[in-house]
Amino acid sequence: MSELALFLAHAIALEEEAAERYAELADAMEVHNNKDVADLFRKLSHYSSLHLADVKKTAEGIELPKLKPWEYEWAATGGPESTAAEDTHYLMTPYHCIHLALKNERQGHDYYANAGKASPDAEVRKLALQFAEEEAEHVATLEKWAANVKEPAADWAEDMDPPAEVE
Amino acid sequence: MTVQPNLTAQDFKSDIKPIWCPGCGDYAVLAAVTKALAETGRKREDIAFISGIGCSSRIPAYTNVYGFHGVHGRALAIAAGVKLARPDLTVVAAGGDGDGFSIGGNHFMHACRRNVDMTYIIMDNEVYGMTKGQASPTTASDWCNSKLTPHGTGISPVEPVRLALAAGANFIARGFAGNPNEVARLIVEGINHPGFSFIQVLSPCVTYRPEQREWKQAVHASDATPAQLIAEAMHQLAADDGFTTGVLFAGNRQPFMPERKITATFADFERKFES
Repeated sequence: MSELALFLAHAIALEEEAAERYAELADAMEVHNNKDVADLFRKLSHYSSLHLADVKKTAEGIELPKLKPWEYEWAATGGPESTAAEDTHYLMTPYHCIHLALKNERQGHDYYANAGKASPDAEVRKLALQFAEEEAEHVATLEKWAANVKEPAADWAEDMDPPAEVE
Repeated sequence: MTVQPNLTAQDFKSDIKPIWCPGCGDYAVLAAVTKALAETGRKREDIAFISGIGCSSRIPAYTNVYGFHGVHGRALAIAAGVKLARPDLTVVAAGGDGDGFSIGGNHFMHACRRNVDMTYIIMDNEVYGMTKGQASPTTASDWCNSKLTPHGTGISPVEPVRLALAAGANFIARGFAGNPNEVARLIVEGINHPGFSFIQVLSPCVTYRPEQREWKQAVHASDATPAQLIAEAMHQLAADDGFTTGVLFAGNRQPFMPERKITATFADFERKFES
């Protein structure tokens, strides 16, 4: 198995999982009538899908290894750009959503940047650094979004009709 | 030999969108289940997914295999029936801690000792979520955030893996929803291990037990080789803090599978009723 094939298999899994997770969160937010955040997650899923398509195009003609979910470098947890379920909340606001995405994109950038430094394969190093640059662009875009979104009040998670009320 | 999966995890997801709360650990368990089923290399029509009642018991609807959303606490009875009638199927049962250890507690004990070849996934969040946050059998005795138990339950919680071991389960593992790929691995191992496989997944309920978001810091992978002898497993589990993840026991009992042969014809039965 070539270093390049292994790297591309990781990149595809990373982007695919990120897109799926964002879509799943968009669905969950729609169910909970949190439309603004649902729309944002949907948009993030779309962008991840576009990036996934680019990576798949790069991988065209290369036989990729079939890795088991626990054989990826990130092993037990999800990929570097996959939102952790416990970081979400049904009352979360666009502010939280954008900062979650920022965290994911920064992790994605770090993953590619490290791969670009560590790989013994020149082609992998080149491609990884290119992906890292693209992730840096995503970070910059999200930082602009974040600058336009006001931080919610400290009691944002307070539900006036709380589901935990049991009489 | 590694089985090369023909189907992907996405192929095992249904078109029905989960209605769990955002942040619920069950999303990750669903992802783990679909990844695991894809890894087994089995066809969708060769898998039956059975559940009882509760938030987590909705999971068969979100998968694209044969499913049975049964009655409260009876997932294991139904699953055993399916497996005994159709031994060719891969049978997986799932549910929550209330469904599995309270309403279905008796079934759990006997499913462990009966050792039918199937896999049982418990999504343990130590609370009844669907009915809005009451103490469950695995809730700590001093949890007092429900109006039904304002001073805590005052009774010791069920310890699922120890109970499973004592009752005779042939494979016991624990995973954490925050590590879905690890949970997928445990499910594959459980499915491939002969007999009754029990997998406890710590699956936070962020709505009624928000403090469970901190479980991420508490879980730790087992550094021991999975015990194969009951005595050895009991010794290891005696020191278990409830957050050790990995395969905790992999026994070698023969699965229960009665001989399936036709012992009477329909005509024989008719004669019996006529006489």
